[in-house]
Amino acid sequence: MSSKPYITFQGSQNFRLRIILSTLSGKSIKIEKIRSTDLNPGLKDYEVSFLRLMESVTNGSVIEISYTGTTILYRPGIISGGAHTHNCPPSKPVGYFVEPMLYLAPFSKKKFSIIFKGITASHSDAGIEAIKWGLLPILEKFGCRECALHTLKRGSPPNGGGEVHLVVDSLIAQPITMHELERPTIATVRGVAYSTRVSPSMVNRMIDSAKKVLNKLSCPVEITADVWRGENSGKSPGWGITLVAQSKKGWCYFSEAIGDAGDVPEDIGQLVAYRLLEEISMSAAVGRNQLALAIVYMVIGKEDIGRLRITKDQIDENFIYLLRDIKKVFGTEVFLKPVDDLNSDDMIATIKGVGFTNTNKKIA
Amino acid sequence: LNQTKNRRRKWDIGKLIYMDNLSPNECIKRWKGEDEQDEDHESDIEEDDESFFTKKDGVNNKVKDYSADLEKFVPYFETLDKLMQKWSNVDQIQNRFIGAPKLKSKKT
Repeated sequence: MSSKPYITFQGSQNFRLRIILSTLSGKSIKIEKIRSTDLNPGLKDYEVSFLRLMESVTNGSVIEISYTGTTILYRPGIISGGAHTHNCPPSKPVGYFVEPMLYLAPFSKKKFSIIFKGITASHSDAGIEAIKWGLLPILEKFGCRECALHTLKRGSPPNGGGEVHLVVDSLIAQPITMHELERPTIATVRGVAYSTRVSPSMVNRMIDSAKKVLNKLSCPVEITADVWRGENSGKSPGWGITLVAQSKKGWCYFSEAIGDAGDVPEDIGQLVAYRLLEEISMSAAVGRNQLALAIVYMVIGKEDIGRLRITKDQIDENFIYLLRDIKKVFGTEVFLKPVDDLNSDDMIATIKGVGFTNTNKKIA
Repeated sequence: LNQTKNRRRKWDIGKLIYMDNLSPNECIKRWKGEDEQDEDHESDIEEDDESFFTKKDGVNNKVKDYSADLEKFVPYFETLDKLMQKWSNVDQIQNRFIGAPKLKSKKT
């Protein structure tokens, strides 16, 4: 290994991703200055909760948190998986915890089967449908076919009471090398509008307004109403909508939003529909919120060159942070070259995999 | 006008990304050619304002400006009004869709 005992990061950004990269690479990391100038310094409760989750799905991980919580040392163990239940703190929805698990799940020793309890929707983190229709298809593209997220109960903020079950049944040695040089053509737009503990008319109003926008498109639009009532609908009233544009080859772009008290369902439906159009215009093969997952999977792929078409719009600060963190941990750089097409500003991200293999799948 | 264009160095984004001495924000700015202080006087002033208010944070202010880091899942979008204007017609992305005949009955 390297001469340095651990890789040092600074700041609180990209916290989950850094822990994930460390776990995948097997290299220890140290994160310093976590909100050190904040009024409320150190790790937040949800970050500690995430670390606990990491502890339970790995075997032999060592986590040391400094007294003030501004420095953490993480020595990864092996990904063991198994069946767990994770109670998510009320400050973050289940999506915050499910999302990083997707990076690890296919490479574990035992199958992942984790029940997450808590809030199932929020403004800034992945909703259930976003993961189900947006992120799991990306896993599928990389060879992990049998993964599912079951919604047992929905729980809207602030009180939550939801329950989702993440099952990843296919354990693979390494992801498939990706070659996607075209912008996929979209065949259908689908969507789900849900509500918990509010009148079902909210759902229909969202669907109507979203359809009004999307009817301009020359493809079929189907939006399902998903009304939850009774015990399974959690402790708080809430509603939201997720729209997904799908290509025949399995690529998809999505957008989502949830309603607050005082919001008009028509506005939310419309907003999400317009956001979907914007997202489509900004994405090549994957949307912005799927890019990180796709890039990481490409990096840990076979020692072969993988290619993915991205747009100029997708190269933003997130993307740079992501690539820098990847380089720090794996030492891999991503090469960007413009596509051959003169009419297009798109780039091809070319990544050589590090030849990562699932340690649990190694055959002597 | 042509001269200024030539003066601006064309930055290679592939290299910029891995220049660790630049913050990601600056990388993007340079790449898009927005870094020339002389010309972009307005943005310069704006920046000054910002740094004036957040100077105390030192290193952290760029992290804070940058609220939309990867911890936030939902990407940045323009406001609804702007999006509505932009997408009042969808010709721009029409080529991304398979041109199926529109079903009249779909209009509910």
